[in-house]
Amino acid sequence: MELNANAFGRSARKALLDKTLQEALGRTTGRFLDHRDAAVAAFPEFEATRERASRIKRDVLDHLDTYLARFVEEAEKRGTIVHVARDAAQAREIAARIARDEGVALAVKSKSMASEEISFNEALQEAGVTVVESDLGEFIIQLAGEAPSHIIAPAVHKTREQISRLFERHLGEPRTDNIPELVGMARRHLRAKFLSAGMGVSGGNFLVADTGSVVLVTNEGNGRMGAVLPRVHLAVVGIEKVIPRMADLATFLRLLPRSASGQTISSYVSIVTGTRRAGDPEGPERMHILLLDCGRSAILEGKYREILKCVRCAACLNVCPVYQSVGGHAYGWVYSGPIGAVLTPLLVGLPEAVALPDASTLCGACADVCPVKIPLPDFLLELRSDAREQGLKTPGEIAAMKGYAGVMKRAGLLEAIERIAGVLGQFFTKGKGIGGLPYPFSGWTERRDFPAPASLPFRKHWKIKRGPRG
Amino acid sequence: MKSNPSFRAGVLPRKDPSTGGERMTYTAKMDPKGPIPVSLFFTCLADAFSPGVCTATVEVLERFGATVRVPLSQTCCGQPAFNSGNRKEARAMARKFLLSFPDDGDIVTPSGSCAAMVKHGYPVLFRDEPRMLVRARAVGERIYELSQFLVDVLGVTDPKSDFSGKVTYHDSCHLRRGLGVVEAPRKLLRAVPGVEFVEMEESDRCCGFGGVFSLKYPQISCKMTERKVERILATGASYVTSGDLGCLLNIGGLISRIGYPVKAIHLAEILAGKTAGRGDAG
Amino acid sequence: MVNERESLFRRLSAACGDHGTAAEEPLPGGPSAAPEGDRVARFAEMFTAAGGFLLRGPVETALSDLGEMLRAEGVTALFFPEDDAAAREIAEALVPFGPFLLTTGAEVRGESAAVTAGFRAAEAAIAETGTIVETSAGGKSLLPGLIADVHVSIVPAASVVDRMEEALAVFTADPPRNISFLSGPSKTADIEQTLTVGAHGPKKAIALLLPT
Repeated sequence: MELNANAFGRSARKALLDKTLQEALGRTTGRFLDHRDAAVAAFPEFEATRERASRIKRDVLDHLDTYLARFVEEAEKRGTIVHVARDAAQAREIAARIARDEGVALAVKSKSMASEEISFNEALQEAGVTVVESDLGEFIIQLAGEAPSHIIAPAVHKTREQISRLFERHLGEPRTDNIPELVGMARRHLRAKFLSAGMGVSGGNFLVADTGSVVLVTNEGNGRMGAVLPRVHLAVVGIEKVIPRMADLATFLRLLPRSASGQTISSYVSIVTGTRRAGDPEGPERMHILLLDCGRSAILEGKYREILKCVRCAACLNVCPVYQSVGGHAYGWVYSGPIGAVLTPLLVGLPEAVALPDASTLCGACADVCPVKIPLPDFLLELRSDAREQGLKTPGEIAAMKGYAGVMKRAGLLEAIERIAGVLGQFFTKGKGIGGLPYPFSGWTERRDFPAPASLPFRKHWKIKRGPRG
Repeated sequence: MKSNPSFRAGVLPRKDPSTGGERMTYTAKMDPKGPIPVSLFFTCLADAFSPGVCTATVEVLERFGATVRVPLSQTCCGQPAFNSGNRKEARAMARKFLLSFPDDGDIVTPSGSCAAMVKHGYPVLFRDEPRMLVRARAVGERIYELSQFLVDVLGVTDPKSDFSGKVTYHDSCHLRRGLGVVEAPRKLLRAVPGVEFVEMEESDRCCGFGGVFSLKYPQISCKMTERKVERILATGASYVTSGDLGCLLNIGGLISRIGYPVKAIHLAEILAGKTAGRGDAG
Repeated sequence: MVNERESLFRRLSAACGDHGTAAEEPLPGGPSAAPEGDRVARFAEMFTAAGGFLLRGPVETALSDLGEMLRAEGVTALFFPEDDAAAREIAEALVPFGPFLLTTGAEVRGESAAVTAGFRAAEAAIAETGTIVETSAGGKSLLPGLIADVHVSIVPAASVVDRMEEALAVFTADPPRNISFLSGPSKTADIEQTLTVGAHGPKKAIALLLPT
């Protein structure tokens, strides 16, 4: 996907003025959150399960070489062809080669954030393969030529009217405002694609090391269709998605659907292993897994390792007041919300996304809901410090910081400045608040008042009242 | 008062389990009959813009038996620098902070975010300096936000305030999530006879201040503040209070610009009461 | 390509550092003991909560209700896997309650326009989540739960287990190509966050719970 993370400020302002988007965001995130909270409240073992999941993931990251090697071995035993891509360019090359070698003309795809990272669809299209997104939300935005705006609800920003217009234009369907009818149109159209596609493409929620299996968690049922009906199945998955054992899957299945949308379990969980067996009436003859490094091994090496625990539930998006205000597109890449604010700079490089770690008040709501206990606020703080170390801060900010620290060095100096500011402030505002301040404080006073400094700062008052020794 | 251990001041050398070396532990326990030494960390923001919050804090602490010392060499805990990633400057301020306070007694501040900064931020700042780290951790163990200190340490159940009015409470993020203080302010507010306490919806949702965030992304910040103000207005309260002045200046700033009939007032001022001597602080 | 793999594992080994050997035993803190009481009843409750419809056996009494439910969905054709005796028995017995035609998975897959109901015996059911387990083990077909408009699962009460771990354990040693957990109908809320059934999979999930 095209990267535009440093335009966050501008994109956010645009999003704030978009009434349709604001309504959609309010409706969606609120509902997801309410359902999530209810599901968590009804599940007394939630905290214990969270701790267990966090520890399993930490164990995986500490031994990713071992677990990934085991996964590859088991997968290959059962007929899977495993490919490894170091970066997006290599991944695109491999994907196109697979499609060509397998003689694929039409590929039907179910959701995969990892495939967005590498611009998979474009790679296949350049190789002459038609790619159809089958997740209803992804299908809709594919028709609209847009990028997804939420990890699990990609078309959150679209109204039924907009969707119906898209279906009329691209599918020749009559206009309607009946949602089940719209869903039925997509179902019919996509069913035909599933039945004729040469290749089904999926992501992977989990990779099971013990058995070489790929796990797909969906509500629509398209993931499993793509993994059963076409002759070829290709799964595009990040290397960090490994879990050790089949039994561990249950722990994550207790957390992922609840955190994402408040469900006890999604409608479908498909665990696929290798190719069709002799005697199977359905199933792919060929199974490919494209494992993506694409920056993950570098993250594994450093202080941000725990970000690789992420199971892509989007709970942090739903609870983030900043995400709720501006939506996903403002973050300018595949991942948005708190996870995006950390993962994007780590995957694409901090200079290309330095605006994102600042897009947070550090309120901590995300850390509260993360099912695998990723310390997101700590990572945001760390990235802000990295930005300073890497020379990415403006000279203005650095000068302001140095000035402020300089003043705070000596209490006497601070007091003197406070006295002066107090006198001037009271003189100019006559006891009322300040209506306008110069940059960089003008942002505040555009819509909010600020008090004038007190004529007598507390430290001076204390000296007077209690004597100079305090 | 909650417990009656005997008073011991001073520095106690102890073995540090991780290094085996000597570690200084600063302890202060209270003599039930003796004075409770407390150092006031009055915060740069309140010092300059709302000194009434500081005097109210002193008032309330003295009301419940504390002897309040105010080390005047203190300036700023360094939170704005730390939060914006400017750790060099933050460390300089943190060093000065740690030097400004005596080795005994507890430190009390009317700011949840400043207490959280010292407790959680300082260990991060000094993670590569073992001696400063030990000192920072020791100070972090004896720093409290005001309502937390009153309820959890002094065992106050009735703040003895004559404040009256309909009040709603905003959970500031660092007080609630950083320090885990949720019930203490509510217990105190509910115990004031003149206060009609009403919970707002989304009381723990961020108000949009976030320190430098409000300057970097002011439109998003404002949108969040608007939502907070909507929830406040829905309660019908005349006052919104909180344990963080930054939040109150933010919320209060929007309220005053639009002209809603709600006043943002710091928790310390409610606890001190109407007749507290605030006037002379300006 | 092998070189890329080698180089990845070299990077990973360096990045992982030394954390001792990988945990051989599963970590502590697994699922709590299953709640007291009837696990079949719990399965029924959870399956219904997930949007599924439950009918209880014996077969004779359930047939007329099942026939009515299928007619209400506009079902005209029924199919089942060739080798699935339980599914065949139910489907064939149901024909007069429509009347319904019998068709095959292959015909349905060939884009038949009929509204279909697919029948299949479940291999297990999970009480914790209201889940029906179907796999391709032994060459079984997944088409009834995949491409039919209505999916009818035949669930023997004895096949109900409490926890997901129990259902998974059966297939860990030698996993089939496909293990499917089915919990209710196909759902989507991608349009204005309004929950709708029948995105790609069946619009209606019916479990016929038989006493044995």
